[in-house]
Amino acid sequence: MIMPRGSDQLLLPVNPFFIGLSLLVALAFNLLPAGRHPAQPDLLAVVLVFWNVHQPRRVGVGLAFLFGLLMDVHEGALLGQHALAYTLLSFAAISIHRRLTWFGLAEQALHILPVFFAAHLVSLLVRMVAGGMFPGWWLLLAPVFEALLWPLATLLLLAPQRRAPDPDENRPL
Amino acid sequence: MPLGTLDRTPPPFFRQGPSALTKLVFFSALAVFLMVADGRFRIIEPLRSGFAVVLLPIQRTLAVPVSLWESAGDYLRGLDQARQTARRADERLAAQAEKAARVDQLRVENERLRALLELKPAIATRSLAAEVLYEASDPFSRKVFVDRGSTQGVVAGAPVINDAGVLGQVTRLYPLTAEVTLLSDKDAAIPVLNTRTQQRSVAFGGQQLPTGGAMELRFLPANADVKVGDALATSGIDGVYPPGLPVARVAAVERRAESGFARILLEPAARADGVRHVLLLEPVGRQMPPRPAEDAATASRAASAPARGARR
Repeated sequence: MIMPRGSDQLLLPVNPFFIGLSLLVALAFNLLPAGRHPAQPDLLAVVLVFWNVHQPRRVGVGLAFLFGLLMDVHEGALLGQHALAYTLLSFAAISIHRRLTWFGLAEQALHILPVFFAAHLVSLLVRMVAGGMFPGWWLLLAPVFEALLWPLATLLLLAPQRRAPDPDENRPL
Repeated sequence: MPLGTLDRTPPPFFRQGPSALTKLVFFSALAVFLMVADGRFRIIEPLRSGFAVVLLPIQRTLAVPVSLWESAGDYLRGLDQARQTARRADERLAAQAEKAARVDQLRVENERLRALLELKPAIATRSLAAEVLYEASDPFSRKVFVDRGSTQGVVAGAPVINDAGVLGQVTRLYPLTAEVTLLSDKDAAIPVLNTRTQQRSVAFGGQQLPTGGAMELRFLPANADVKVGDALATSGIDGVYPPGLPVARVAAVERRAESGFARILLEPAARADGVRHVLLLEPVGRQMPPRPAEDAATASRAASAPARGARR
């Protein structure tokens, strides 16, 4: 994309290795054995949605599906539960990606909140139908945390693209 | 301006690939198919095992920083706490020493009495020590994963215990790991025996107590003889759990007039959070002695005799 979309700065082209690395790091954060709490934000979902919004031609629905399967196996959940949720997330992100980048970070987070909420709702419905336990109302906080992480994810993941195109002594990075 | 500043591959106008909606429909259908196949037919276990083997090195690597963090916490909490822990362990050891000293004598006595009564000798359970890899973060179930799998000889349905009592049961086997469903999971059920009244019943998981995951005794009449504090142990009639392992303690009994049953909530004996080492037992049903050979021979002879007669 050559034109800056709503941002004040012309972005450098993205490095595909950086996309892969960020997705793997997010997966690693999700795999950290940090106990079980229903309000835990799903970092992998945040990063997937971020790349779906900013690079929809590189990270699409298929990759989201694959990462969903990995999460299902890791959690011992019904195989396909996360895959379905991530597929829907990814589709929603791709369908709003042209509009979203015209807004500021806080408005973007507000836009993305119902998307995360819907993804958690789909997971909940699937597990209730399959006979799981109700995890408690703390679950409502998980999409809120994920939306709060959105500005942070944007700052971190766009940082390599915001570097100066011609580094000199004043702008070493 | 340097050369790498701009993306030099403009988006294609016409070759866009399948649209996002097409992909959504395809992958959603695939996900639903996988869920049905996994939940109902269990035909995609190889796929699951493959993913599990791929994930295992990452999981093991990620367990390192967490254990480092925990050991750093232990280190920083200081000498005082360590001394307290050691003293508590000593006290427990002393309390158990008396029992342990009598166990050998009681076992010999029990064998003699069984021989006198011409009972079958009690089954000694084979076991396998394992370490808990991680607690599944899935909020809809209560599961942990241990680092022993089918290659180490774990079988599906194996009871899992720790020093306090029964933790759960192996519900899914991978080549190098195993999934253990805890007793507090909604799908868990375990036959129990009230050690005070010797009454048998079945405990189900899936109840929520303020103190954490808990279980329930269902289908006991409202006037059943159950008191708060009763200890429940495995009854050993299910062919899975060996008899006499502590399972839970009665935490609350509600006798409601409008219902024919009492509502009895249990607190599991073994707290599953923070457990590191567990013991995987072999299901009792697998250790039953094989059927006597001569019986089988006579039975087959008896069964084949008329057939032979018919052929002649």
